[in-house]
Amino acid sequence: MLEHPAIWRGRSAAAQPPGLPSGFAALDEHLPGRGWPRSGLIEILVPRFGSGELRLLLPVLAALTRAATARWCVWVTPPLLPFAPALVAGGIVLERVAVVGGARPLWAFEQTLRSGACDAVLAWARQPSARNIRRLQLAAEQGRTLGVLFRPRRAAREASSAVLRLGLEPQAGGVRVTLLKARGAPRTAFCLEL
Amino acid sequence: MRPRRSLPLLVPAAPAPCAVPLRGVALATGAARTAAELWLGVHLPGGAAGAQLAALAERAQRFTPRVSLEPPDGLLLEVRGSLHLFAGIGALRAALLGECRGLQLQAQLACAPTPFAALCGARAGRSFEILEPAQLIGQLTPLPLTVLRWPEDTVARLGRLGVRTVGAALRLPRAGFARRFGPAALATLDRLTGRAPEVRAAFAPGVRFRRRRELDCELTSHARLLAALTPLCAELGAFLDARQCGVTEFECRLVHRQHPATCCLVRLAAPSADAQRFIALLGEHLAALPLPEAVRACELRAARVVAQPPQAACLWQPGEHGGSLAREACGLIERLRARLGPEAIHGLTFLEGHRPEHAWSLGPPPATLGAQARSHAAAAAPPTPRPLWLLAPPQPLAASQGWPRRRGPLRLVSEPERIESGWWDGAEIARDYYTAVDAHGVRLWVFRERRAPHGWFLHGVFG
Repeated sequence: MLEHPAIWRGRSAAAQPPGLPSGFAALDEHLPGRGWPRSGLIEILVPRFGSGELRLLLPVLAALTRAATARWCVWVTPPLLPFAPALVAGGIVLERVAVVGGARPLWAFEQTLRSGACDAVLAWARQPSARNIRRLQLAAEQGRTLGVLFRPRRAAREASSAVLRLGLEPQAGGVRVTLLKARGAPRTAFCLEL
Repeated sequence: MRPRRSLPLLVPAAPAPCAVPLRGVALATGAARTAAELWLGVHLPGGAAGAQLAALAERAQRFTPRVSLEPPDGLLLEVRGSLHLFAGIGALRAALLGECRGLQLQAQLACAPTPFAALCGARAGRSFEILEPAQLIGQLTPLPLTVLRWPEDTVARLGRLGVRTVGAALRLPRAGFARRFGPAALATLDRLTGRAPEVRAAFAPGVRFRRRRELDCELTSHARLLAALTPLCAELGAFLDARQCGVTEFECRLVHRQHPATCCLVRLAAPSADAQRFIALLGEHLAALPLPEAVRACELRAARVVAQPPQAACLWQPGEHGGSLAREACGLIERLRARLGPEAIHGLTFLEGHRPEHAWSLGPPPATLGAQARSHAAAAAPPTPRPLWLLAPPQPLAASQGWPRRRGPLRLVSEPERIESGWWDGAEIARDYYTAVDAHGVRLWVFRERRAPHGWFLHGVFG
C-alpha cells in the first residue's frame, strides 16, 4: 500500500512516479521523482517578478509542447505579454500556447486545470487562500495537468497543499533554489546556473 | 431527458435523401421493385394535427431515412434495409408504436411491399406483415373498398355492382373498369398491387429550431429561469440529434411584460448537439445577464444548423497516444468566453520582423484538432537573446547623468544591439538595446533612443 503514489510519508524517499525532466541536472537531483511532477500544483515563490522563474520552466514547457501528443500550455493572466520570439527561441511550439486574460484569474486557473485540455498551466494570482490552493491542487490532479502558481516570497510562511514549493532568489548567472516542500524530499537549498 | 445517441440513428446512403422524391421505384419493374422494398404504413385513427404528424415523422427518421407523409393521418416508412438493425419487423413495429405512444397518438401499423398496400392495411386495422410480394394480393383481397378512399359515388356504384372488397375490384376486367370509373381509379389499383410504380415525396424536416415556453408564473431568479430553459435545451439537443446536425450558436429570448425582450446569444467553439453542454453554457450566460423585469416566457432559437455526422467516441484521453483534445478544449474555450468575454482566450503568433513590436501578434486560440507544429527554428534565432516578457508600450526610465535608473541604477551587462527599421510604414524605430541588471538582480531589456532626446526605455524582462 505504501507504494501507491497518493500515499507518502514525510522524509521518506518513497517511490514517486517518474517526473518530467526539468532540463537542469542539479534540480532533477533534488526533486522527488527526478523531475517536475506530471500532474498537480506547484508553487514558485519569487522575491519579485522576473527573478528567473520562467527560464527555470522553459525547458520543460518546450519538451511538453513538442511532444507528439501534446495538449495545450496555457498562461493565465500573465503580468506582461509573453514575447513570442523568445518563446520560439526557447523551443516552445506556439501553436499549443494560449493566453487567458480577464478579471478572474483564480476561476480561470481552476477551469483550465480541470478541463484536461492542458499539459501545463502557468498562473499569476494575487493572494490565493489556502482553501483556494487546495481546490487548485485537486483540479490539477483531476485534469492530469501540471499547474504552476507564481507567488511572492512572503507566502512561504503560509501553509499550502501544493505538491511542490520552490523559493527562488536571483544570483549572478543563475538562481538560488530553496526546496520549501516536496513529497519525500528534505528541505534543501542549492544554486542553479541558468 | 433522453440520453444522447442512445438510440440507433440511420445515416442515409444518398447525400441528401430528403431533398429529392423517393426515386428508383420508377425505373424498376414491379416484381423486382416490390422484392426490394418493404413499406410500413402508419394510420392514426384519431387523426393528428399537422405538427403532430411532422413530429412523428421526425421521430420515425430514427428507423429509416425514407419517410413519407400521407396527410392528414398517415405516414409511410421504407424499412427493408433497417430490419436487421432492429432485430426484425416485430421489434421495429414495437419501437415505432413506442414512439407514437410518446406523442400520445393511437396508431395502427401494417407492413407490405407497396406503400399504398401498407397504408390500406393500416387503415383497415389489419396488422398484417406481408414480407413477400407473392402474398400481397391474397392479403389485400378481403379489405373493404373504403380503405382506398375513392370518391363516395364511385364506392356506391361499385357497391351496386356487388363489388365491396378490394379483391372483387381487382377481379373486374381492366379495360371496362377504366372506362366506367376512370383511369385514375385503375391507377390506384395498380399502385396497390405494385403493377405501377409509386413515387413518394420524402419528408423533409425543418432546419430551424424555435420553441417558446410560457411560464406558469413570472420568474426573476436566474436559477429558476435556467430550470425553465432546461427542457427547451433538451428539445434542441433532440432536434439536432434527429437531423445529425450541430449548432455553433443559439439565441435565448426572455420575454417581459413591459420591457422589450432580453436576448442572450450563446456561441460555441465548435458545432455541438449536446444538451448538457447547452445548459451549462446557458447557465454561464444567464448568470451575467441583467434582467430589467420579471420573465413571462422564454424562447430558444437556432437558425443555422450545420451537418455533423456522429463521431465514434475516443478510447484514449487527451494527451495519450491517439487521444484528441477537441471536446475538452472546446468546452474550456466556451466556458472562459461565457464568463470572461469573447476576448478571454487567445493564441500567440510569431511574425518575421526585427522590430520587437512587430515580431508577434495575438491570434485565435490554438487549434483543437492535432495541430502540427510548424518550425520557426531557423528563422527565429535572433543575434542576441530576447526577453520572455515584453512591455507594450515601452516604459520610460528615469536617467541620471545619461545612465538609466529603476529602483536604483541599472548595470548594463551586454553589448548594444542596434535595431533600426520600419521607415517604410511610419512606425520607424532607431534604438540601441542592452541587457541590464537592476539592484535586485532582475535582468531587464532596455533601449536608448538614437534620436534626441535619447531617452531610456524599459522594453522587456528576461524572467
